[in-house]
Amino acid sequence: MDTLGRIRQLAAKEFSINPDGLDPAAPLDTLGIDSLSFIEFMFKVEEEFGVSVSDEDLKAIKTLADLERHVAAALAAAGKA
Amino acid sequence: MRRVAVTGAGVVSPLGTTVEKFHDSLAAGRSGIRRLAPELTAHTGVQVGATIDWNPAELFKEGEAANLDRVTQFALAAAGQAIAASGLLAAAGVARERIGVSWGTGMGGAQTQEASYQQVYGKGEWRVRPLTVVMGMANAAGSNVAVRHGLRGPFGNYSTACSSSAMALGEAMRTIAAGRADAMIAGGSEALLTPGVLVAWQALRTLAPADASNPAASCKPFDKRRAGLVLGEGAAAFVLEDEARARARGARIYALLTGYGNSCDAVHMSRPDRDGQIRAMKEALAEAQLSPQDIGYINAHGTATAVGDVVEAEAINAVFGAAARELPVSSTKSLHGHLLGGSGALEFAALLLALEHGILPPTGFLEQPDPACGLRHVAQAAQRVAPPRAVMSNSFAFGGSNVVLVAARA
Repeated sequence: MDTLGRIRQLAAKEFSINPDGLDPAAPLDTLGIDSLSFIEFMFKVEEEFGVSVSDEDLKAIKTLADLERHVAAALAAAGKA
Repeated sequence: MRRVAVTGAGVVSPLGTTVEKFHDSLAAGRSGIRRLAPELTAHTGVQVGATIDWNPAELFKEGEAANLDRVTQFALAAAGQAIAASGLLAAAGVARERIGVSWGTGMGGAQTQEASYQQVYGKGEWRVRPLTVVMGMANAAGSNVAVRHGLRGPFGNYSTACSSSAMALGEAMRTIAAGRADAMIAGGSEALLTPGVLVAWQALRTLAPADASNPAASCKPFDKRRAGLVLGEGAAAFVLEDEARARARGARIYALLTGYGNSCDAVHMSRPDRDGQIRAMKEALAEAQLSPQDIGYINAHGTATAVGDVVEAEAINAVFGAAARELPVSSTKSLHGHLLGGSGALEFAALLLALEHGILPPTGFLEQPDPACGLRHVAQAAQRVAPPRAVMSNSFAFGGSNVVLVAARA
């Protein structure tokens, strides 16, 4: 599964929503995801991919598509992708 | 002062995960105590416990359950049952700012905290889940009940070891009686059967070893052979409501909560004190405006420790005098184990069996009563009686916190 697919699966499980209905471009708050839930979700994303997203980068993540870009970049930097 | 009615009940216990199953098990004298799983016994030396075969998937979505400590899952389950049974929130336009939550727990999110320590000290990974704080904090269970049902009235969370949830019920009663809320969801939960917690209890040398021939019979309150308490887990919750409002909306009234005694021994962290227990029982009787002979059953604290059972028996005899000879007493911890912060609430659910159905639950496995615990025991098997007018439950905690509740027939 590609990176976005894995992120969607994780999000679907964490927030009990249908992965097919997840719009990667939708702002996370419109998906009902608050800041605390998002931080817990990011922890699980980091675990899943074995990467670390800095606090600064975290602030720039507003959508799942943003998240995918940061994860992909982190994987590339770590030589994992 | 307004009178307080019990209009809903919910139970998640080692004797069943509904009030009906819990009552059926008590009436049958069935024990929920068993040998613990190897991962809990391996390094702790603890052999038995009263555990729940819990399947969160029946109540929670996968991601949701992963973000709620077991103690909170139990709380939500029990409170949900109680609220549904009461019909309290079913009416349109319910004033939720007039409904509060009063919860008790000894250790809060013990499993969350232990997982975090395991991560840090066990695995050496200084990286823990961001939800560790809000899942593990002592008020997580009660606060989640409030959030789940949008209950915006007074909130209280009591952590006084073994009297926590009895105190939660008593304080909820006072909150309603004083007019500060129309109804309260009151109860308690505990889920601390983890290796780190068990080894600490084992170090206290107060836990019973497994009964060699029958592990279910390992906890024997008031028996000459008693060897200590058996830890359990679970929750119980009640809807407490201003009686006049409950009657006006046609609610089923299970019982009235009429007396609450609260005292502190202030002498020792763990050794019980007769005087403190006596004062709590007398205070509860006085508030309920009852004489000792009006009480038809006591659900004792009765943890099956060498000293505790004797002191409680002495205290009961001091308060009830000649009436104690005719007063049935039992400790249902022999069957459901000691839920610590959850025990007061669970044992209040046992009172309802006596008040509503005239079934006095037994002290299981009490075959050789200790003469030093001179009480009229309901031993081994439940006893059927005409439903008593009023009943009492004792909860005496480490730290010297004594709570006594009196409930009366509706």
